[in-house]
Amino acid sequence: MTDPDRPVERLLKSLQERAKELNCLYEVEQALSRPDVPLEQAFSKVVEAIPPGWQYPDVCAARIEYAGGSFASADFRNTEWELCADITVQDEAVGRIRVCYLEERPREDSGPFLREEERLVSTIAERLGHSILYHQLHAMRRQWEDAGRKAVNETEAAWREPMRLLRRTDRTLYLRIARKMVNHLGWMGLEGAHDLLQTSTHEIEQEIDDGADSNVPVPVRPRDDSPLLSGSPFELAATNLPDEEILELIQRWIVEENAAFFPKLLNNPHATVSELSEGLRRFHHLMADGAELSEATLDDLRVTLVRRFLTTQLSFLRIAKNVVNPCDFVDLLDQVILEGSSHSRLGGKTAGLFLAEKALRRKAEADPDLGRFKVPKSRYLPAEWIYDFIEHNDLEEVLQQKYRDIGQIRHEYPNIIQLFKNSRFPPAMVSGLSMALDELGDGPIIVRSSSRLEDRLGSAFSGKYKSLFLANQGTKRQRLEALLDAVAEVYASVFGPDPITYRAERGLLDFDEEMGILINEVVGRRVGDYFLPAFAGVAFSYNEFRWSARIEREDGLIRLVPGLGTRAVDRIPDDYPVLAVPKKPHLRVNTTLDEVIRYSPAKIDVINVQKGTFESLDIKEFLLQVGAEYPGFSDVFSVVSEGILSRPVAMLCNPAKDTLVADFGGVFENSRLIQRLSKVLTTLEEAFESPIDIEFAVDGQDLYLLQCRPQSSADDEAPAPIPADLPAEDILFSADRYVSNGVVPDITHVVFIDPEGYRLLESKNQLLMVGRVVGELNKILPKRQFILMGPGRWGSRGDLKLGVRITYADINNTAVLIEMAHKVGSYVPDLSFGTHFFQDLVEAKIRYLPLYPDEVEGGLDRRFFMACPNLLAEMTPEFAALADVIKVIEVPAVTRGRVLRVLMNADLDRAVGVLVDPEAPAFDGLALPSPATGGQAQGYWQWRLRMAERLAAEMDGERFGVVALYLIGSTKNANAGPSSDIDLVIHFQGDDAQRRDLLGWLDGWSLCLGEINYLRTGYTTGGLLDIHLITDEDLEKRTPFAAKIGAVTDPARRLTMGSGGGDAVER
Amino acid sequence: MSQAVFNPFAAAQGQFDRIADLMGLDQSARALLRRPIHEHHFAIPIRMDDRRVRIFDGYRVVHNDARGPAWGGVRFHPQETPDTLRALAMWMTWKTAIVNIPLGGSMGGVVCDPHDLSRWEQEALCRAWVRRLARDLGPERDVVAPDIMTHGRHMIWMLDEFEAVHGGHRPGAITGKPVYAGGSQGRAEAAGYGLVYTLREALKELSLAPDRAVASVQGFGAVGRHAIDLLIRIGGTVRSVACLDRNSHAPATLVRQEGVDLEELRTFADPFGSVDCEKARSAGYEIKDGDAWLAEPVDILIPAALENQITDLNVQAVAPSVKLIVEGANGPTSETAEATLQARGITVIPDLLANAGGVLCSYFEQIQAASNHYWTLAEVMSRLDHQLTSAFFEVGELSRTKGLTLRDAALVLGIDRVVSVSTDRGWV
Repeated sequence: MTDPDRPVERLLKSLQERAKELNCLYEVEQALSRPDVPLEQAFSKVVEAIPPGWQYPDVCAARIEYAGGSFASADFRNTEWELCADITVQDEAVGRIRVCYLEERPREDSGPFLREEERLVSTIAERLGHSILYHQLHAMRRQWEDAGRKAVNETEAAWREPMRLLRRTDRTLYLRIARKMVNHLGWMGLEGAHDLLQTSTHEIEQEIDDGADSNVPVPVRPRDDSPLLSGSPFELAATNLPDEEILELIQRWIVEENAAFFPKLLNNPHATVSELSEGLRRFHHLMADGAELSEATLDDLRVTLVRRFLTTQLSFLRIAKNVVNPCDFVDLLDQVILEGSSHSRLGGKTAGLFLAEKALRRKAEADPDLGRFKVPKSRYLPAEWIYDFIEHNDLEEVLQQKYRDIGQIRHEYPNIIQLFKNSRFPPAMVSGLSMALDELGDGPIIVRSSSRLEDRLGSAFSGKYKSLFLANQGTKRQRLEALLDAVAEVYASVFGPDPITYRAERGLLDFDEEMGILINEVVGRRVGDYFLPAFAGVAFSYNEFRWSARIEREDGLIRLVPGLGTRAVDRIPDDYPVLAVPKKPHLRVNTTLDEVIRYSPAKIDVINVQKGTFESLDIKEFLLQVGAEYPGFSDVFSVVSEGILSRPVAMLCNPAKDTLVADFGGVFENSRLIQRLSKVLTTLEEAFESPIDIEFAVDGQDLYLLQCRPQSSADDEAPAPIPADLPAEDILFSADRYVSNGVVPDITHVVFIDPEGYRLLESKNQLLMVGRVVGELNKILPKRQFILMGPGRWGSRGDLKLGVRITYADINNTAVLIEMAHKVGSYVPDLSFGTHFFQDLVEAKIRYLPLYPDEVEGGLDRRFFMACPNLLAEMTPEFAALADVIKVIEVPAVTRGRVLRVLMNADLDRAVGVLVDPEAPAFDGLALPSPATGGQAQGYWQWRLRMAERLAAEMDGERFGVVALYLIGSTKNANAGPSSDIDLVIHFQGDDAQRRDLLGWLDGWSLCLGEINYLRTGYTTGGLLDIHLITDEDLEKRTPFAAKIGAVTDPARRLTMGSGGGDAVER
Repeated sequence: MSQAVFNPFAAAQGQFDRIADLMGLDQSARALLRRPIHEHHFAIPIRMDDRRVRIFDGYRVVHNDARGPAWGGVRFHPQETPDTLRALAMWMTWKTAIVNIPLGGSMGGVVCDPHDLSRWEQEALCRAWVRRLARDLGPERDVVAPDIMTHGRHMIWMLDEFEAVHGGHRPGAITGKPVYAGGSQGRAEAAGYGLVYTLREALKELSLAPDRAVASVQGFGAVGRHAIDLLIRIGGTVRSVACLDRNSHAPATLVRQEGVDLEELRTFADPFGSVDCEKARSAGYEIKDGDAWLAEPVDILIPAALENQITDLNVQAVAPSVKLIVEGANGPTSETAEATLQARGITVIPDLLANAGGVLCSYFEQIQAASNHYWTLAEVMSRLDHQLTSAFFEVGELSRTKGLTLRDAALVLGIDRVVSVSTDRGWV
């Protein structure tokens, strides 16, 4: 359409023509859309609507010929300038439509007519065919109804005459109805029916039973239709069933037969989306007119539709069957970017939201509140388009990418992105996306992946593919280019190293991944240069993060953030979302003013429409720019005045002077929204038959549902299987309430504060000192490899006796925070659930576990903790006096190399800390997540160790003045992550020149190792070596790194130098 | 290990006994003052949001009200014990007496965790607590103020309930209210400014001009930042500030040789003392570890964050240049560390005196409420200055003449004032 050879006027004219045609089609549709208007009247309107759609309306006329009659526009006459099309009903021509020019006009594509006009006349003919079929069925139905009414008064049963008519006119249909009647009678147990089928059901069953064990095929029985054609089934029915029932049965079966084309079409694997869409529309008309199909047929249709368009997941199909109606797909298919013959599925994201919407709308009949939500405008690009794209650009080679070495994949990925972005899209795709853009409008949009693996793996896989925000501003051409660019980038992400690594780790490399694309409008409003919703969030129907014993797991959890929801979806290290429990919104995790302020969001994600960028801004600074113009301002923000939070009056608010906090005070005060979300979660949980999570946004006025899927969790947060036969002597502690999910593997150190010893401390100073020691140990012990076990409430400000006073910084390296509630008399004290720094724990993924040792058998093996050698005095000599109270235990040292693993299972509400061999697999045979990476930690440390050994072997001690080489840190401890350094301690005795040489030599190694690490993991670290040179003097003074050599806990590992091999010697 | 487990009330009694020995108090005075004069322990049934009833433990301990109506906080805390409250009530008696205001000392609380309670349940708890004590509270008997996990909003609920029971307006029954609800100006500034008034007096005695004085402050909350504010305004320099890093949650010390710029620091901080250290670094502050504030070569150390910060473990790190330590926090210096500091000739202005600004401001709030006439911030501060300067002078003189530490001198002065009135009243 943008051929530059055509003059502008021509182009304009062409566009005007298209508009006229569309208008004409609309008028025709209007005329035919009313079932109550007789066909004749509708046809008269149609012929009047046609001429204005043609290039020369003044000299244009139209005529419809149908059933011996004709309907023409006023001045119609036959001329030589004519366009014709047959009107067909069920593949049979029943009429014709003609459009003529009454005078000669200049020559175009086909005589004086345009190619588009030719197509238009066929479309109108097709539409007329549907309309005639519809009216025929309608008439037939009325006839049946009349017959039913007449039957009451007349002697002959009402169904007899129509059936005679049917036998004469449509033998096939008659036979099918007769067969259904026989089956129905047979099902009722009438012997006569079995005779009609020539064989009794009993015999057939017998044959099948016999055949079950035999390897001989069941004999064929020749089929004889004559008893059916004779009318005997109906005679048999007449003697056994009342006439009204026979009439009703026949009526229903005929409608079912009429609708039967659709299941047939649906089951045809070669049918295109366009064909299916058209079929669905026809079917919808039939159903809208009250056609009744059996539940079985409808179930089959629902399942087939879902399987065809959404997903093949069995669990999903079962749920969908109860929720969707075939006609629901009419709207969905309207949103598919249709061109050509595509027939793929739309992917999991689309499916989840579609199902959720339908489930809620259904329930909204009983509770209108459930219907008070919207879904953003969306368009879908079916998955197979990616192959068209690849083929169109001869990029087939990338399909093998996943089988290459991961280093190579990572190396080539940036090129693939550029290659895709510089590729051309097939024209059909361009026009499809262009139309989608027109329909979505010119607000910001988000281009998201919707792939099959995302269906399978849920949230664990989401985030591996790209989602791109587009400001969608500028001319149509600019907007389209940006959209194409984004689609190309999302396509390229299929070939990125992260998803491929993830798939390889889970044996899914050979899985046929299909990448559908979902294009959403972004929910929100424009404020100044920015576009954002008032707030957005994620809601879970199961709460894995309870901060109060009053909160039940089924009460759910909401994470709310102002602006775009990106910050609510992931755990964020430098900021906090606002947490709430939808079923108990008034139990807030932060209650004092300082908590509310400290744990309120400090940043906001927005789209800068002016620059076309996605930005994370400081909320304070953002409010200085937009002030109370912020959508839903007084719902999102509270103003702090003299220690009290209150809802701001927008008019009086001055962001430059007032302290504003995004605590969602208004939302909680007027808890309607939270209540609605709570109902939504409950309803969807019922519909999906499993806990679910949803994403939502509020634009300042309406609630939008953005996503819905079964609630899943990252690998290290899934319920841990706990075998029933764990040896009792290996269990160090167990818990039976308020347990969350997860596995904490390979704990090497335990800090155990003995409740009894703590209780007996004599002075305040000593009690406070315990907190201080914990802070010191937190700095020394290997990060996330130790656990803290203490009496009562950690970090509390009340009576010191009832809990160790620490701040979050004193415990922030622990893997698990355990509180022990010992009975005092008959009273079991309340535990804190870590409320003082609850949100820190959540965002840092530190587990919290409450123990009630007096109430659970095997709740705590205190003897183990008290009897083990205590490292406290050696690690922190200045606190040796507290050794009776604080036990620091190196687990492998006292258990012959074993480690502690904490298994937590919220489904069972049970957790255990159990001693295992460090290499032991998880109890269900799955790979264990590592604390640092959630995957392949073993790989990270192993090759680092190999390289360190190699380096040592290459080291020329004499040349560099090196006496010995030691390994410390994460490589030595086998817990290196993808970005970890290799820490080397080098005992150096050389001079300055040697030092320079040594450092230069190491620098080369460091950079090379850094590069290898980048190729393996994608982490850019620059150099990978962290070198600590120590001298004899350091050894003497026991400076920190020198002290590692021969240390009691976590000693440095000596590497063998210059042997050329890699034999490391433990010292 | 002996079975003499730590008990905060026993610790407070131990301190009293030591001073009583020093003063040679007679047995009846000791018997009266070693224990609270009356206590309420009561059950508070609350109908929870789920319509079930839960019973909470409520307390009010009045240690002594010989000098005037008792005054003390009410805290909501899950680990409240009567002994903690008894200790706090006793300390409040001494504190009001040291700054010489006509009030006694009390303390109260409810054993509960507000994290476990909805707003409505907290309101019900506040009202029930007041209803149960209504006869014994009030501007003439016992005045309530906010404490741990209670704040302005709780105070307004309590006042409303008190007034509903008694009829009419009695704003003096509760202090710590917002200004718009009958509170006093200067509540936020009082503790920090008060600290600097005592510091200024101490500098005079040390013959150190404020414009030559250099300080290191621990804590950037309300006390710390207002102390820094006034200290800079009287010409002093604050070279380092220890605070929590908003990003890492770890304590850190911000140092700038030419002195910190308070306005600039405020822009990096939240109202509770956490500072974004990255921003501070880019603004030219040197970031040292959390303990570094103590070792800075300055004249004055102001611990205004947590208790037990200067102990035997780190007291040696205090630089030789330090002449003065002003306790903004409660109990930041351990007993033994204080002895070491005293031996080194370092003056410690004790918490009882240095952070009494908050108590004074509550007293002013009561006066204003009684007259239904409210003062300007300048008026509040001028009275605060007068009251604290007098108190410092009296304590200082006693300390000098009797060779006592300022802490002991303050306690002697305070206890003596309570004993005198009790004697006159014929109680002992």
